[in-house]
Amino acid sequence: MPQLPRFRLRLNARVGALLLDLDLALISRWTVIFGPSGSGKSTILRAVCGLVPQAPRVGILSRRLAHRKGGGAPEEWDQPHHRMAPHLRGLAYAPQGAVLFPHMSVRENISFPSAVRRGAAFQQPSDRQTGSGAELVEEAIRCFQLEALLGRRPGDLSGGESQRVSLARAFAVPHPRLILLDEPFTGIDRALRDALLPRMQQRAAQLGAPVLSVTHDVEEALMLGAEVIRLEQGRILDQGPASRVLAEERARMLQMLL
Amino acid sequence: MDFAALELTLRLASLTTLLLLLLATPLAVWIASGRGAARRVAQAAVALPLVLPPTVLGFYLLVGLGPATALGRTLIALLGHPVAFTFSGLLIGSMIYSLPFAVQPLVVAFSSIDRPTVEVAQVLGAGPWTVFRRVTLPLSRASFITAAVLCFAHTVGEFGVVLMVGGDIPGVTRTLSIAIFDQVQELRYTDANLTAAALAGLSFLALLVVYGRGNRRAELA
Repeated sequence: MPQLPRFRLRLNARVGALLLDLDLALISRWTVIFGPSGSGKSTILRAVCGLVPQAPRVGILSRRLAHRKGGGAPEEWDQPHHRMAPHLRGLAYAPQGAVLFPHMSVRENISFPSAVRRGAAFQQPSDRQTGSGAELVEEAIRCFQLEALLGRRPGDLSGGESQRVSLARAFAVPHPRLILLDEPFTGIDRALRDALLPRMQQRAAQLGAPVLSVTHDVEEALMLGAEVIRLEQGRILDQGPASRVLAEERARMLQMLL
Repeated sequence: MDFAALELTLRLASLTTLLLLLLATPLAVWIASGRGAARRVAQAAVALPLVLPPTVLGFYLLVGLGPATALGRTLIALLGHPVAFTFSGLLIGSMIYSLPFAVQPLVVAFSSIDRPTVEVAQVLGAGPWTVFRRVTLPLSRASFITAAVLCFAHTVGEFGVVLMVGGDIPGVTRTLSIAIFDQVQELRYTDANLTAAALAGLSFLALLVVYGRGNRRAELA
């Protein structure tokens, strides 16, 4: 399995009424940002993507050295004060509410990330390990059980189906540096979620990219055994293993069962 | 039926439509991409031909493209002859006259494209050109067709600008709408009737294309 890069995000910006001030380290394969709505969870992901104009200089420090152009030197993006266009950041992203391309079929949606990268500039030596664009697409379709929906348009999908297509599209990004998932299981029932979670963990590990997801679902965070960052009002309250950070919630849930 | 005028009208309308869409697309992208004062001024200027009498437009074009202005002198030096009373002059006039019909539908189309859709395309690796080609353009296809048909039909129907800038030179600047005027002046009512019927039919067909597509757009969304 490829060596996992470590990331550190620094963010200091005022977005609307919210003052975001964080410095967080991604040290686990899967990190969950947990917090109530309005705490700035989605804004953090959007800022990492370069979509928050108020926070153009999100510092992302990666210990991994670049493959790009000869390798050796760290990527430009690794410099904390560089503003890089979203499409050059090499991110996999499933936004909140499954934003699909309405004019494309399910298959075309999932193929989009590899289709826009077609060209020599994006071919990297690690292609042998993670597969070509076409294999990535097939793998993502299998992972999210979308075989029966490939010819459909987003307009004909249910909420949960759209969400699965959005996740599959994120997992079909070639060479992601970081996989960002915003409320990944909205509209997906528990049984399916429980089936998808381990597959997604496995797939992310194969792709060699850490996952940063956002949720307000305690179960999801506990199931993943992920590193949890508890966020409130744009600030980090706590960070650590899910079992510790969410101990209180876990106890409350157990109590309800007894 | 004045076939030279018919041929000229169709040639003028096709060329105007083609060039105008090429010009209007980047302009509409820019207008739709923000909220600045410059964009509002541009939008007002683009809409001006809608409210101005065509003769006013024609008058300014005639003067502006003539030897009285720096622009006119440059054009004359470049082409070797004045553009007024030529096909190129007619083309310039038509393009300005139909500009709002090309720009407005495209501005509406571009600004109605969901912001998150564009954003997710960017993050997934599409640069500005790729986003335009793979997302913006296909999602505004219906509006491109509307803009093209409206430009074409509007150019076919113009009169004042053509008369002012082009004069009435058979085979060079005499379009169908002017031919009718001449035919009526010469009391050739049968010919005028034929020409008028041709124009009315052509325009109705064009509008039918626009409205006939109305249902399909709902299907796509």
